[in-house]
Amino acid sequence: MYDHVKEDKQQLDKQVTRRSFLKMMGGLSLAGITIGLTGCSNTTTVAEQAGGDGWLPQQYQARGNWPAQVRGRVPIDPDNPSIVRDDQKCILCGQCMEVCTRVQTVAGHYGLPMADDIICVNCGQCTLWCPTGAITERDETQKVAQAINDPNKHVIVQTAPATRVALGEEFGLPPGTWVVGQQVAALKRLGFDAVFDTNFTADLTIMEEATELIKRVTGEIKAPLPQFTSCSPGWVKFCEYYYPDLLPHMSSCKSPQQMLGAVAKTYYAKVKNIKPESIVSVSIMPCTAKKFEAQRPEMNDSAHYWHNKDLQDVDVVLTTRELARLIKQQNIDLSKLPEENYDPIMGEGTGGAIIFGATGGVMEAAVRSAYFLITKQQPPADLFNLTPVRYLEGVKEAAVEVPGVGTVKVAVCHGLSNARQVLDTVRAGNAPWHFVEFMSCPGGCINGGGQPRSSVPPSDEIRMARINSLYQADAQAPRRASHENSEILAIYEKFLQHPMSELSEELLHTSYTDRGKKINALTS
Amino acid sequence: MSKGVLVDLTKCIGCGSCSVACKMWNALPYSQITQQQGSNLDADTWTVINRAEVKKDNEPVWRFIKYQCLHCDEPACVSACFSKALKKTKEGPVVYDVNLCVGCRYCMLACPFNIPKYEWDKAFPEVRKCQMCANRVYNGDSPACVSVCPAGALTYGDHKTMLAIAREKINGDGDYVKHIFGEKEAGGTSWLYISDIPFEKLGFRTNVTTKPLPEYTESIMGLTPAVGLSWGALLTGMYVYNRRRNEIAKEKEKPGKK
Ligand code: SF4
Ligand code: SF4
Ligand code: SF4
Ligand code: SF4
Repeated sequence: MYDHVKEDKQQLDKQVTRRSFLKMMGGLSLAGITIGLTGCSNTTTVAEQAGGDGWLPQQYQARGNWPAQVRGRVPIDPDNPSIVRDDQKCILCGQCMEVCTRVQTVAGHYGLPMADDIICVNCGQCTLWCPTGAITERDETQKVAQAINDPNKHVIVQTAPATRVALGEEFGLPPGTWVVGQQVAALKRLGFDAVFDTNFTADLTIMEEATELIKRVTGEIKAPLPQFTSCSPGWVKFCEYYYPDLLPHMSSCKSPQQMLGAVAKTYYAKVKNIKPESIVSVSIMPCTAKKFEAQRPEMNDSAHYWHNKDLQDVDVVLTTRELARLIKQQNIDLSKLPEENYDPIMGEGTGGAIIFGATGGVMEAAVRSAYFLITKQQPPADLFNLTPVRYLEGVKEAAVEVPGVGTVKVAVCHGLSNARQVLDTVRAGNAPWHFVEFMSCPGGCINGGGQPRSSVPPSDEIRMARINSLYQADAQAPRRASHENSEILAIYEKFLQHPMSELSEELLHTSYTDRGKKINALTS
Repeated sequence: MSKGVLVDLTKCIGCGSCSVACKMWNALPYSQITQQQGSNLDADTWTVINRAEVKKDNEPVWRFIKYQCLHCDEPACVSACFSKALKKTKEGPVVYDVNLCVGCRYCMLACPFNIPKYEWDKAFPEVRKCQMCANRVYNGDSPACVSVCPAGALTYGDHKTMLAIAREKINGDGDYVKHIFGEKEAGGTSWLYISDIPFEKLGFRTNVTTKPLPEYTESIMGLTPAVGLSWGALLTGMYVYNRRRNEIAKEKEKPGKK
């Protein structure tokens, strides 16, 4: 038996010698001559391998096996501003395709061949479903760190309503833990010069959007009903791609992020006497689509205001996950921080603004203030607990009696497959509603594509924990309707004059892009 | 029965699933991102997706082109290989035996599509390329890349059937150009492509002869190992030079696009 092996070995050595010699010469400038012949000592089957039917190279003798069932994945443009993928981590599980196709109805909902765009609404839901973390937000933490280290920059930051009920999860706190004060404290320790609340501009959005709705209802603005909310940039891009014919329904109001960006480099810069070009405007968002929104070329109204084409209203958007990373890099334990307060003059928010982070919240806040703006009276108690539009049912409806106007009908949907149901009804001309709230992500911003991956894929349990936390904070808020926000009253008095004034239109409103040409019709 | 793959370029969405599947099945290390402009094959990357930005009816369009060995019916690489490491199987795949490869790189020069790549950085380098997942094919499965394509861009089956489907598609739908790439190129290949954009606009080599290539290569490449050695040394030198040049270029490009 051993003889047999020895014989084989001798035979082998002969072949190997010649092969290795040739190889060594071939790779001369790279291989050291002294490496020897051992690299080929495993080739005991050379003789059997050459020739014959069913001849297979050695690496194919064994049938390969997949680690799991493999399926195709979503395409991601290497230039996508919101998400990136690390091919090394991808196991081809197909979860991204699943959520994109079925929950968001984006992938697979356009015809082939494609135009010149990899269709993506930047919602980032795939980052929440990808089991290996292969798809992530495009990390921009270094841009922020650089700005903070630049003594010539005044770096301001805003935080969205939904990050305060999720950031804690990155630091081991239970889902939905309310960490608003700790978040502010962490941002101050990171070195931001001022910490503002996106809730301030959520309230501003309500003032503008409710005013716009009233003007549409009374016919003062010639625009169709129902009015669509416009604060979810994934939803806006979805409408631009798939329902461009319905864009006239879209409220012209910018999202709270973009409103804050615009007033920071105008109103705040003026009041504080800071050069707008020295301001770096950062936002902390639960959302990857906000990165795309901030880069939209028309989001530069501060540039028009100051006649300085280099200004962009929001400079860098970080997701909740990126903020957690920044905090961890500084070895700050969020859970141990004292609570601190947002800075004036853009740091106050009402209960109505807090619930922007949950599906139905924008609608509820808008109804509260629309009621006041129409009747000049405080809304009745049930408008502060508008349960028909709350929680996780896909499409929700409510009817609200407003004296002098009659019944106002509203609808709320979240997750883009649900949006399609509503949009198809509107397209068919059968929509009974005056106002519809759309959120790209299932559950609203609390489950945005930039939120902590506390369960993968996201679970309703965690969604509900975050939602309940927001409604609880609303219930306890000293002021619960946007028109009661004292800093909002101040900005109108000192700067904007009134909702939809000329200056408000310039800074707080926007227009949309028909992307229908990027979508070829589906042929089956 | 000889097998084939039909690539319908109008259906590819550029997801890169195929290139990842190839890495997973063949246990290849990850060396680059594989679905953008200018991606290229290397020893560890046997298939890539390239983005071509072209015009169709004066409108800009993107097309994604899957690139891998075409598995020629009469492969130039096989006839150039004096150590018989490369072989065309009757099932279609052109495979090689790493244990027979001496690293002379004749196949690289012979291949009209620039497919075989060389493990330049290894002490005992070998030539590497797509082998059409020969073991899957022998077991009745489709190649790994075909099995994961979510868009229906890749179809696997009998070579004859693939050709028939391709003909039916290009004749039935006026959007396709009337050309099946691989039907005649290099004497015919196991992989076939159809497209709505002329192939030359997508970077395909359309000027390859339709005569089987071994007729040429055998006379040019039937050389002695001694010549092979000087080729080897020359190519290795070129590689080192080019790699350094690329590195310098990359350093200059930093920090990349915003
Ligand atoms: S970000 Fe949203 S739209 Fe884009 S690929 Fe991911 S799930 Fe699909
Ligand atoms: S979800 Fe992640 S791992 Fe799964 S296919 Fe998509 S990118 Fe790959
Ligand atoms: S494409 Fe090149 S490597 Fe592939 S079989 Fe043909 S000649 Fe050989
Ligand atoms: S898997 Fe299919 S659709 Fe995706 S890149 Fe490859 S060929 Fe194109």
